[in-house]
Amino acid sequence: MNTQRIRVIISKEWMDMGKNKMVLIMMALMPVLLVGMVLGTTYFMARAPEQDFEPGAGSGIALPPEMAHLDPKTGTIIMMNDQYMFYLLLIPMALPVYIAAYSIIGEKETRSLEPLLATPISTAELLVGKTIAAVTPAVLLAWGSFAFTALGMYIIASPLIFEYLVRPVWTLSMAIQAPLFALLSTSCGVIASSRMNDPRAAQQVTALFVVPVVGLSMLVLMGRLYLSLQLLLWATLLMVLVNVGVLWLAVKLFQRETILTRWK
Amino acid sequence: MIRTENLTKRFGDNLAVDDLTLEVAQGEVFGFLGPNGAGKTTTMRMLSALVAPTGGTAWVNGYQVGVQNAEIRASIGLLTESPGLYPRLNAEQNLSIYARLHDVDDVAGQLRTYLTLLGLWERRHEPVGGFSKGMQQKLAIARALVHEPTVLFLDEPTSALDPEAARVVRDFIETLKGEGRTIFICTHNLNEADRLCDRVAVIKQRLIRVDTPAALRQGLYGQSVRVRLREPLSALPAVVEALPFVHGVSEMPDGLRVSLDDPEADNPTLIGALVEAGAAIQFVERESYSLEQVYFDLMRESEEAA
Repeated sequence: MNTQRIRVIISKEWMDMGKNKMVLIMMALMPVLLVGMVLGTTYFMARAPEQDFEPGAGSGIALPPEMAHLDPKTGTIIMMNDQYMFYLLLIPMALPVYIAAYSIIGEKETRSLEPLLATPISTAELLVGKTIAAVTPAVLLAWGSFAFTALGMYIIASPLIFEYLVRPVWTLSMAIQAPLFALLSTSCGVIASSRMNDPRAAQQVTALFVVPVVGLSMLVLMGRLYLSLQLLLWATLLMVLVNVGVLWLAVKLFQRETILTRWK
Repeated sequence: MIRTENLTKRFGDNLAVDDLTLEVAQGEVFGFLGPNGAGKTTTMRMLSALVAPTGGTAWVNGYQVGVQNAEIRASIGLLTESPGLYPRLNAEQNLSIYARLHDVDDVAGQLRTYLTLLGLWERRHEPVGGFSKGMQQKLAIARALVHEPTVLFLDEPTSALDPEAARVVRDFIETLKGEGRTIFICTHNLNEADRLCDRVAVIKQRLIRVDTPAALRQGLYGQSVRVRLREPLSALPAVVEALPFVHGVSEMPDGLRVSLDDPEADNPTLIGALVEAGAAIQFVERESYSLEQVYFDLMRESEEAA
């Protein structure tokens, strides 16, 4: 594995990305909207009357036993924030697929893949370069969004709400799960791109992976699931296994000859 | 430099290249001619180690296709049918990516050399998406050369270019001829092949014929001269046919076409016989056939044989 060639691919992807306004807007928009939504919701809920959160009132949510010691208003805000944190985890899942699908199918659209494959670069070097180029900005944006959310929460919410937001289950989720989600999403983008001619089709297929995460967030909101370190451990183990499988499949399916001769 | 032995490629039931055996020497400019779907690009892709042969074998620069693919790719330059540049990046960035992928030592120096040589130095900071087709093609040629490959594959180097841009590209390929590189050109432009190539191969899945353009003409039509007459005389064909060195005579609207052994040695006798028979000769000229005519006749022969 030649690291110089991997670095060339990464710098090429980032140069190209930097000049593609659509990709930049897509990358900036999602984190800004999500962070704004989390902080905005918390800001207004924190200023709403306590009685609105009493059991049976409009804004009240049934708290799980692990949060029974909290007052209804604080508990509801924390549960809302927990759900939003799942959405922040969608950043590393949603952005790389867009970048990865574009970076491979985009090569087809500009017909630049054939000259690129005619250089000494190996398939592994090409895929590693493209994967790092897609994963890194998405993970950095996810971490940045989490940091901004935490900072905003520190300023606008009570210390208890801030402490719940930065509790180990979320900081570790961001630290470990965000890169795993990004890697999974990128591998899916590579698989879809290797078999499809249209970046939109590739993105639509990989968007299906968002569904389980949204489902999980709904279970948390309904109080059916409480996020614990044990749950995080199992989820990490599962993600590692899924990533290994999908990565293996992505490398298997990315065949120079098939891509060159099938893409018309 | 390039050698193929029974090289074959199948895509499922479709036979793209069949049993191709040929050899291209170092420093030779070799033209690869054939209709669409004849297997030209597939052959080039096999020789560039992009597509694996399903039969036979090939060597490029001494490296075997399918065994030493990385070495082959490091030692060749490939100009694909469409330039395949990154439109948002500028000319310098496009070229620099390839120079670095090929581990070129003096990237800045090579970029300067080729961008200057191809007249793009002043516009090196402009995104190539705004370049004309001719400029894009020139940049793609620079990309194929930036690592100084000894073998250059050019797939339709002047297709889709206006006549002026095509001429610039052709002139540049002619200058490359003098540098000792082996150049393998796929083209539909038969005049271009005639002008640039030392030898040409005509293929349609299988190899139909390979030789120098002059030898292909000679093989098909032999040597012939055209005698232009002020007015035709019916007795002349018989007079000419009676000469011992003449292989054939055909009447043309403005004179005769005479097929003979050696025009330089036989023309004086031929002219003498015609004048004696009362012919008013305006011109005697060596008959010239375009490579296009050779190509179509070879294709027709091949179809009739099939």
